[in-house]
Amino acid sequence: MVPPVLVKKGHKMSDTFDVVVIGAGPGGYVAAIRAAQLGLKTACIEKRETLGGTCLNVGCMPSKALLHASHLYDEANHDFEKFGLSVKGLDYDIEKVLATKDETVKGLTGGIEFLFKKNKVEWIKGAGKFTGKDTIEVALNEGGSRTITAKNTIIATGSDVANLPGVEIDEKTIVSSTGALELNPVPKSMVVIGGGVIGLELGSVWRRFGSEVTVVEFMDQVLPGMDMEVRKNFGRMLKKQGMTLKLSSKVTAVEKTGKGAKVTFEPVKGGDATTLEVDVVLVSIGRRPYTDGLGLETIGVEMDERSRIKIGHDFSTNVPGVYAIGDVVEGPMLAHKAEDEGVAAAENIAGLTGYVNHDVIPGVVYTYPEVASVGKTEEELKEAGVAYNAGKFPFTANSRAKANLATDGFVKILADKETDRVLGVHIIGADAGNMIAQAATAMEFGASAEDIALTCHAHPTETEAMKEAALAVHKRTIHM
Amino acid sequence: MKTINCKVLVLGAGPGGYVAAIRAGQLGLDTVIVDGQAPGGTCLNVGCIPSKALIHAADEFEKSMHFTGENVLGISVRAPSIDLSKTIEWKDSIVKRLNSGVAGLLKKNKAQLVKGWGKMVDGKTCLVATDEGDVTIKAENVILATGSVPVEIPSLPFGGNIISSTEALSLDGVPEKLVVIGGGYIGLELGTAYAKMGAKVTVVEAAERILPQYDADLSKPIMASLKDLGIEVLLNTKAKAANEDGTALTVETTDGDKTLEASKILVTVGRRAKTEGFGLEELDLTMNGRVVAINDKCETSMTGVYAIGDLTGEPMLAHRAMAQGEMVAEIISGMNRTFDKVSIPAVCFTDPEIVTAGLSPEEAEAAGYETKIGVFPFAANGRAMTMEAETGFVRIVARKDNHLVLGIQAVGKGVAELSAAFSLALEMGACLEDVAGTIHAHPTQSEGFQEAALKALGHALHI
Ligand SMILES: Cc1cc2nc3c(=O)[nH]c(=O)nc-3n(C[C@H](O)[C@H](O)[C@H](O)COP(=O)(O)OP(=O)(O)OC[C@H]3O[C@@H](n4cnc5c(N)ncnc54)[C@H](O)[C@@H]3O)c2cc1C
Ligand SMILES: Cc1cc2nc3c(=O)[nH]c(=O)nc-3n(C[C@H](O)[C@H](O)[C@H](O)COP(=O)(O)OP(=O)(O)OC[C@H]3O[C@@H](n4cnc5c(N)ncnc54)[C@H](O)[C@@H]3O)c2cc1C
Repeated sequence: MVPPVLVKKGHKMSDTFDVVVIGAGPGGYVAAIRAAQLGLKTACIEKRETLGGTCLNVGCMPSKALLHASHLYDEANHDFEKFGLSVKGLDYDIEKVLATKDETVKGLTGGIEFLFKKNKVEWIKGAGKFTGKDTIEVALNEGGSRTITAKNTIIATGSDVANLPGVEIDEKTIVSSTGALELNPVPKSMVVIGGGVIGLELGSVWRRFGSEVTVVEFMDQVLPGMDMEVRKNFGRMLKKQGMTLKLSSKVTAVEKTGKGAKVTFEPVKGGDATTLEVDVVLVSIGRRPYTDGLGLETIGVEMDERSRIKIGHDFSTNVPGVYAIGDVVEGPMLAHKAEDEGVAAAENIAGLTGYVNHDVIPGVVYTYPEVASVGKTEEELKEAGVAYNAGKFPFTANSRAKANLATDGFVKILADKETDRVLGVHIIGADAGNMIAQAATAMEFGASAEDIALTCHAHPTETEAMKEAALAVHKRTIHM
Repeated sequence: MKTINCKVLVLGAGPGGYVAAIRAGQLGLDTVIVDGQAPGGTCLNVGCIPSKALIHAADEFEKSMHFTGENVLGISVRAPSIDLSKTIEWKDSIVKRLNSGVAGLLKKNKAQLVKGWGKMVDGKTCLVATDEGDVTIKAENVILATGSVPVEIPSLPFGGNIISSTEALSLDGVPEKLVVIGGGYIGLELGTAYAKMGAKVTVVEAAERILPQYDADLSKPIMASLKDLGIEVLLNTKAKAANEDGTALTVETTDGDKTLEASKILVTVGRRAKTEGFGLEELDLTMNGRVVAINDKCETSMTGVYAIGDLTGEPMLAHRAMAQGEMVAEIISGMNRTFDKVSIPAVCFTDPEIVTAGLSPEEAEAAGYETKIGVFPFAANGRAMTMEAETGFVRIVARKDNHLVLGIQAVGKGVAELSAAFSLALEMGACLEDVAGTIHAHPTQSEGFQEAALKALGHALHI
């Protein structure tokens, strides 16, 4: 291992690094911090004016800030009555809501800058481009360029919004998730194209603030890729909340009009087209790996059929000394997956053994209720021919959920029929995001459903539903 | 007189008793369960559930109050109000639903519920006074699950304005001035709820700090939040006596006596096992101080007589009672089980909440371990930032030599729901590396757990 190198502030820094990370999203900034912790001389190239990548600037964090504010408003609007609370003149000030979200983002991105300083990671502000296997030219934001030499490079350039062919995103009327974090005034009506995580989260935000939201989804249920039972039930809940879902429908045209935009869609199977005129259209059909202008062709980095960088178990590409992590490689496009890959890649470079178990990556949808899952879905198990038992427990039979008036949803545990090993856990519930940590821990340990059932779960908590679901695997729930 | 013969008799239908009966029924044991009140025990009727319902309503009310002033979220409301009788009505409706839910579960699992107060005549016989007259129940096995009752202060007997937690859950209005005697979790949970609903609350605590069962690092954020809520906390102060009509309380402070005005005086100085009134003396069981002595199978000193739950002492928690109940039913059915939980998590539903699972740093040290401790503050957790929940931290205590996790504690908004992950990690024998190596979803508060493990290992990422 290389001894720590002290970089003094204000000194002219040398241009040779042990590790250069390109991109300061959750994958990149974590990789850089970990590399520096391990004593490697590290730089991180980021062209954005702030650190934190998609996640902190235009992704997870600002969306969660809006989800929090809009949820509180929604709750005051609909639930307080039942507790014996009455509020009058309930209102919100969207300027302030957005300003607070920006403050949160500022705090978080500034926090990463602090962490870079603390861990002695040098931030090179600009766009990086390979000119050779170990040379990178950075077009500096302040003008000019700087060429640096890297013994190892970690590519963490993330992803960008995928667009519908022929549709132009102006981030005002036709927006991507980025524009959907800035809507002001609140649109009266909105079409969300794509009922995946991002579309449903942001659709929920504006629905709560009063927008009439229609989600157009190509597949037969929302949240493609998740467990079918979850998808069906969750779709029903969204409808109950007042969201309109147009499933098995494909958008054929999006046209800007004077006031807003017209969206035309028709059943996938064929049939009559429908046209809606709305104030705002959100295109949330997915994200694509982003490697534009990186010069990968110059050094011959191999890509897969979906334009992702091909990697091995240790995150190395086919070019020696070049690694890749996060949204730019295969796997779910999630911040925590990027982070853990960042740690592992840095550790591999330092000569340790960094490893990520891609079978246990939890995913959370921050709607209300939340949806969270880890491991295999029923459909995946069936397709793989794995015999399993499913144990399900509804929050209507959980006393904490009752006390919180949050009884929508359930916990479902899928366990191997023969060994009882937990293969997948799927939750719809108010606090599903926090609850999934237990399921991930269980799966990392190769726990059986019985292990979960024998663990003492605090009363009254929503996590008791996890224990009951584990009991349900053996058809012996107590509270149902 | 009517006589019922059965394989298992459960005395008391609290969480310990009703779970034992359901499990026994599932296992095909002929089971009878006796309780004089609606099934569900302290927990469902006057404990965990109604208290959490009120706490939740109070939280919601506080949120709406928060919106009346300048607030960063930009949400505004005019003069919110709370109609406590409506809140209590809502709470009662939940309790009722849960009561009938438990009754339904007992029925479904073929455990017979006999309503009435029971008295043990001997180790196999119980006499129950029901509305339809006395019933004798003869059983091969008896599970005692009579729970606990609030401790009374001799100079301040319950009655009138001097109330226990039970009455505090059914007040007809928010008291103007509420004095809470005892700064344990029950007193602080209820005190916090009433303060949020607008009462002027004073907490009188004899010890030198609140929540004496928790270490000072854990109780400090609670102390701060009590202060923010305008709750006055008098430490090193003993309650002495009340005036005739219970509108004033004399307390002894370090600088002499003081009188506190009160609309209600809530006494929450602990709970004690309910050891009288059901013929315990006839059984002459070995006691462990004031509670029934049991071994790790919940067997008492008399063959065929088991005891579970609060009757057997600390920790007096519903989930411990339930776990014991489940186990005893299995033992009676012939399974080989022992109570060997590495972790019985405890949650304090104050604001912020406290969770403890396994050993605290002091306990670990006292047990002779050299430890490594990692603390991660929620102020550095993205999710907490977006939820205005930056107070508190997650702390992990591990063995220095092999990194085995010994205990996990957290204080923060909503941390109750992290307790299961903590417990499971302890039960599975996790090391710091295991917790650090498990991917935690972003952005969630549970990332604080992973970061605390990384911190203990010396390489936290986000601080
Ligand atoms: C609205 C929204 C909500 C989301 N919510 C969640 C959520 O709740 N939970 C979750 O886990 N995930 C969420 N995600 C996904 C998450 O944001 C991504 O998975 C994560 O950011 C990927 O991290 P990364 O480091 O791979 O890439 P990114 O975060 O995309 O970062 C890549 C960085 O590289 C920089 N870059 C690219 N090319 C160059 C170059 N040549 N030179 C210099 N810099 C370059 C970019 O400017 C960018 O800052 C959300 C995404 C969106 C859009
Ligand atoms: C305000 C408050 C809040 C609480 N909050 C929590 C919390 O959040 N989490 C937690 O884990 N714990 C909490 N507790 C503690 C929890 O309620 C107890 O630990 C739990 O109820 C104990 O269960 P048990 O079955 O041992 O006894 P109990 O619930 O006390 O039940 C005993 C039952 O036995 C019956 N009984 C007694 N004598 C007889 C007789 N002679 N004949 C027939 N029936 C009889 C009683 O009527 C009662 O129904 C709280 C307690 C209170 C008071």
